[in-house]
Amino acid sequence: MLTIRNLHVSVEGRGILKGLTLEVRPGEVHALMGPNGAGKSTLAAVLAGREGYEVTEGEILFEGQNLLELSPEERSHAGIFLAFQYPVEIPGVSMIQFLRAALNAHRAAKGLDPLDTAELMALLKEKAALLKLDPAFLSRSVNEGFSGGERKRAEIFQMAVLGPKLCILDETDSGLDIDALKVVSEAVNALRSPARSFLIITHYYRILQHIRPDVVHILADGRIVRSGGAELAVELEEKGYEPLLAAV
Amino acid sequence: MMASPVETTLLSIEAGAQHLMEILRGQASAAGLPPKLRAEWQALAQRADLLSLFTEQRLKEDWKYTPVEFFRRQWVLGQLREAMADFPVVGSWPFAQQVPPSEDLPALRSLPKPTSPWEVLLASAPAHAHYVVHKQERVLLQPAVAEGLVPLFVTVSVAPHAEAEVWLLPSVQGFLLLRLHIDVGTGGRVRFFYPTDIGEGHLYGIFTAEVAQEARIETYDMTVSALWKRSEMKVRLAGPGAAAYLHGASRIPSRHCVDQAIRIEHAAPHTESNQLFKSLVYAEGRSAFQGRIYVHREGQKTNAYQSHKALLWERSAVAYSRPQLEIFADDVRCTHGVTTGFVQGHMLEYLRVRGMPEAQARQLLAGAFLAEVLGKVPYSALTDELYRRMGFAWD
Repeated sequence: MLTIRNLHVSVEGRGILKGLTLEVRPGEVHALMGPNGAGKSTLAAVLAGREGYEVTEGEILFEGQNLLELSPEERSHAGIFLAFQYPVEIPGVSMIQFLRAALNAHRAAKGLDPLDTAELMALLKEKAALLKLDPAFLSRSVNEGFSGGERKRAEIFQMAVLGPKLCILDETDSGLDIDALKVVSEAVNALRSPARSFLIITHYYRILQHIRPDVVHILADGRIVRSGGAELAVELEEKGYEPLLAAV
Repeated sequence: MMASPVETTLLSIEAGAQHLMEILRGQASAAGLPPKLRAEWQALAQRADLLSLFTEQRLKEDWKYTPVEFFRRQWVLGQLREAMADFPVVGSWPFAQQVPPSEDLPALRSLPKPTSPWEVLLASAPAHAHYVVHKQERVLLQPAVAEGLVPLFVTVSVAPHAEAEVWLLPSVQGFLLLRLHIDVGTGGRVRFFYPTDIGEGHLYGIFTAEVAQEARIETYDMTVSALWKRSEMKVRLAGPGAAAYLHGASRIPSRHCVDQAIRIEHAAPHTESNQLFKSLVYAEGRSAFQGRIYVHREGQKTNAYQSHKALLWERSAVAYSRPQLEIFADDVRCTHGVTTGFVQGHMLEYLRVRGMPEAQARQLLAGAFLAEVLGKVPYSALTDELYRRMGFAWD
């Protein structure tokens, strides 16, 4: 599904990713861990097409298509979803308006007619229930006045509504209390399917106790320095990064 | 909308002002005013220095941010016609009765002295109407100007504890010069709706209100389009507990100008005012906002807030904001806030990452910017119509 080869990325002239290579197959859950500044969020941003990141070398293929040639909205239409580490407030736009516009943009890109209001509301309510969100939340402006935990749940809610193929969760677990983490994890697990893949960026083992990854990668200094199964996350939790990185 | 058919020779500003004055003076009958007021205002209209006041006012603080190109046009006097408004007028209130002028009419007793030559000349305009609201009624003003310059003067008296709605629905292809004064009696309630969608028309409205004890006025000055629109709103909170809530949302397309000059006077204790204005300015459009809160010595325990926010669509869009506070009482709470900026890149990016093309994302953000004000309009049918006309209908 996703193939990244020898990816080099700079931000304001400073190299962040320095030859990252990664393969994610359909249905797989990959966890990406690493110390602060390793380049985890940079990778997420580059995949989503955010501005300010310069790809200086390498390639990214998504279902065989050159991702770097696509605009952010085209990547979204292709099936890439980024759950932001810091979701943006948009005062004056309700969640309903926002998701209606986003969903219909996806449908337009596929040559489909817009959803009618009844279909839209049924879909939103179904997915809100998955995240245990009060339906009144749909009338609130996007992320405005939301707590940190609410914002993260709202991101996963959007993901459930848009139904992407590749879900990138950029530190979704940070800012979540134990109960909210459980709700979010259950929702992610409910969305797992043979056709949908996940790239979970995290600092902590705790989310991986709820969402069991197929592969765990350690990213350091812009490169994946070690990959393994779920047991690698356990090892990290016990020993920390230093001994593992020293052994590389 | 058709361009004004009266546009002919461009005069100098001085010659244009002289021309305007001749038109207005030529029509001065003061027939709509009671005798005492008529004599007073006719004398003012004959002042020799009116021309200098006209030509100098562009340099005055409350005029210097708006281009005064309309002075330079050669206008002819047009005709005022009532027209069917195409904005929805919601609800089924009965309409207020128009009454003959009288010295006893509260709206005429409380009419403030003119502060500009426009007001002097307007007060003696022949199209002068008085309305009285006794219980719960609506004043519907639908002036239609097909061409030329048309002056209109309206006063509204709202009886104590009565409830009024004033709807001003102009249809203008020339230049409408409007003076409206509302007197709100003790405990009265007034809502003033002023949705404007006049394309290339010119509109200059001078609105004043005298608000008595425990009375309140709400205004909704919404602009979809107007080549040149200036709204002067002067509200005097004259009695204890009086309140004014002013709202404005302006969509200002390319080359258009919307200029708002607000003055709220707190002349009694325990009065409250809130101004919430937003301007969405497209390329080469111009917004001017000058809001003054004036607290008299008697205005102890005043609570006043003023906010103007401008969103500039392109670098060539222009917005001037001048919040002003003048306070002569020592126990008050007066605050103001002004922001001017461009569409925020991180919001745009968030929407695009969710799949919205850039143009659609920008449109959504533009609508969201004005939503804070449009959402305050108490009639959803009017809100929806404004969204639709502004191009922000999402359903």
